[in-house]
Amino acid sequence: MKRYIGFLAFLLILSLTIGIAQPQKTVRLSGWAASPEETKLLKEQIADFEKANPDVKVVYEPITGDYWMRLQTMLAAGTEPDVFYMDVYQSAFYIKQNVLLPINYYMSKYKIKPEDFVPALINAFAKGKIYYGIPKDFNTLALFYNKSLFAKAGIPEPTDKWTWDDLKKAAKIITEKTGVKGLAVPADAARFIPFALANGGKILTKDEKKALIDSPEVISAAKFYTSFRKEGIGIIPSDVGAGWPGEAFGREQVAMVLEGGWMVPYLKEQFPNVKYGAVELPSGPKGRANLIFTVAYSISKRSKVADAAFRLVAYLTGAENQLRVLRSGFALPTRKALEKEITDPISLVIFKGASYGTPFKFGIKGHVVLDNISKALEQIYLAGVSEEEAFKNAAQKINTELKE
Amino acid sequence: MLLKRLILSLKSKRDGGSYWSPLFSKKFLEVLDAYLMLLPFFIIFGIFAVYSFFYAFYISFHKFNLLSSPEFVGLSNYVKLFKDPEYTGYAIPNTLKYTITVVSIQTFLSLVLAFILDQNIKFRSFFRTLYYLPSVTSSVVISLIFIWLFSRVGAINSILGLNIDWLNNPKTALWTISTVNIWSTTGTMILIFLAGLQDIPVSVYESASIDGANRWDIFWKITLPLLKPVILFVVVMGTIGCFQVFDQIYLMTRGGPLNSTLTMAYYVYDKAFGRGLEPQMGLASAAAFILGIVIFIFTLIQRRLLEGRE
Repeated sequence: MKRYIGFLAFLLILSLTIGIAQPQKTVRLSGWAASPEETKLLKEQIADFEKANPDVKVVYEPITGDYWMRLQTMLAAGTEPDVFYMDVYQSAFYIKQNVLLPINYYMSKYKIKPEDFVPALINAFAKGKIYYGIPKDFNTLALFYNKSLFAKAGIPEPTDKWTWDDLKKAAKIITEKTGVKGLAVPADAARFIPFALANGGKILTKDEKKALIDSPEVISAAKFYTSFRKEGIGIIPSDVGAGWPGEAFGREQVAMVLEGGWMVPYLKEQFPNVKYGAVELPSGPKGRANLIFTVAYSISKRSKVADAAFRLVAYLTGAENQLRVLRSGFALPTRKALEKEITDPISLVIFKGASYGTPFKFGIKGHVVLDNISKALEQIYLAGVSEEEAFKNAAQKINTELKE
Repeated sequence: MLLKRLILSLKSKRDGGSYWSPLFSKKFLEVLDAYLMLLPFFIIFGIFAVYSFFYAFYISFHKFNLLSSPEFVGLSNYVKLFKDPEYTGYAIPNTLKYTITVVSIQTFLSLVLAFILDQNIKFRSFFRTLYYLPSVTSSVVISLIFIWLFSRVGAINSILGLNIDWLNNPKTALWTISTVNIWSTTGTMILIFLAGLQDIPVSVYESASIDGANRWDIFWKITLPLLKPVILFVVVMGTIGCFQVFDQIYLMTRGGPLNSTLTMAYYVYDKAFGRGLEPQMGLASAAAFILGIVIFIFTLIQRRLLEGRE
């Protein structure tokens, strides 16, 4: 018996130390898979959070492939993570489905003030005064241009003062002089909508119950947008065998693209030799317009560790961490106080876009609205349907869906 | 404990007697053994086939977006399905076009190739392996390779001297996917035909040639008629496979451009999970049932025709 006592004591100590070392709460965090650099930064931030909060263990489970499909099935099965990314155009739907945790209680408990955030961003994840997520970063669109191609064509580089006419003229000259097409105009609602807005068009009525994309303003914007490709001075990515405009731009198969801050790390990593710049989107007949893309951390309504989950969200969206993200060039901060920290020229251009931008959010069925606009553009490009017909059909389809 | 007993009973039965023999008859134990062996399959089959089947049937009469609870709507999903221009105007005609193209070309091609490979040609086994290779390659890999081959800057265009965006042109996308599928499934069909060809007794050929038949006559009057049941099998299997085409479409075009590659099977996925839209599980289940019924009918026809020959 005696010789077992030492062993038993050892077991006791072992179990005690394990009991102490083991964190009490596990918070699962999910988002779509980002670039390796971005993932690395997030993992560092998580590690720092765990150090500061020894009672919480964070499990990061990035989702590759179809994020929304996975999230939907996980929510249906009750296996969703505690904290997950929520895109602004999907937020209204998920809020309505009652699967996101209202975080007002925790916000006041941990002294996170909504006023500290850019209103357009935090309000995109709220219903009235009830908040369902804290925006982690944002982006807008800018006109990215290839400096070498502009030099080769012998024309001055774009400026923030450019108008639609300047854009078209430049695209024409570049195509003629260099053989590389001027502008990427994909069949993508997220690139077209700023043109519709800058032409005085509207996407939805104020109550978000009816589509207004069959208005003359939107249709003439569509005519302008699609004219680039029709006149042979613009491309859609598949014309040059590219998956998205950024890829065509990196391969120097197009001189200008309408993209966001995600271009910076992408080009740095994939096409480090491309010399490029970025300016604000050219202003249209009715002034400037832009889209604000933002993603929030939301917490599952069923989370059993909501308090710890909120602490993680508060930490990741805190001033210190947003500054780290900004410094690494991935995205812009959502906190007002950090505006003065934005110093590099491209980030400034992206930031300025927010001052006249509209959140990328189009009602409870925002995805239906965007999907039908993209399809309308596709019909114009690929089936030769007239702009009027394509957008009238799209408006009709959206309206039928909105009535349901 | 129970498991231990069962294992013991199995062991002891092998030795002639049984641990449980005082309790149960030998016959019962034998049946029990059989079911025990089948159990893992039954559990999986039960959950993923039987339960899912009935649940999908139930859901097809409901409005269900996965997040809120199902709401009974009667037959309206089926009504909506046949009123949806995407389904009646694209999914059904596309599936028919696709099936007719793929099945006819693939049957003809594999029959001809199988006939050639059945002759005494050089490098016969090399060619047999070569043709079968696509069938054992993952459809994901095949799709990715063909995306490159058929891209605007891809090999097909540069060989043919064309400038067609095969997969992004509504006029060519479906034919491109048909080509991919013909290429990848012909190997399997060749294999089936080869087996059928070897089944034909040599004596029949011999007596035909003694009677003075030439090779052409032999092919038309002997090989083809004797191969009829195999041809039928290939056609029916091909048809069923074509109705279910999903992976190539998911990987290569996602039903686009302009719904030109939207098929009945992809429609089910698109309504359930596609494009980040709100899931329409009811509609998707209804579409799945219609597809299931169509395939069921074809299977019945196949069985009838195959039974008829015996």
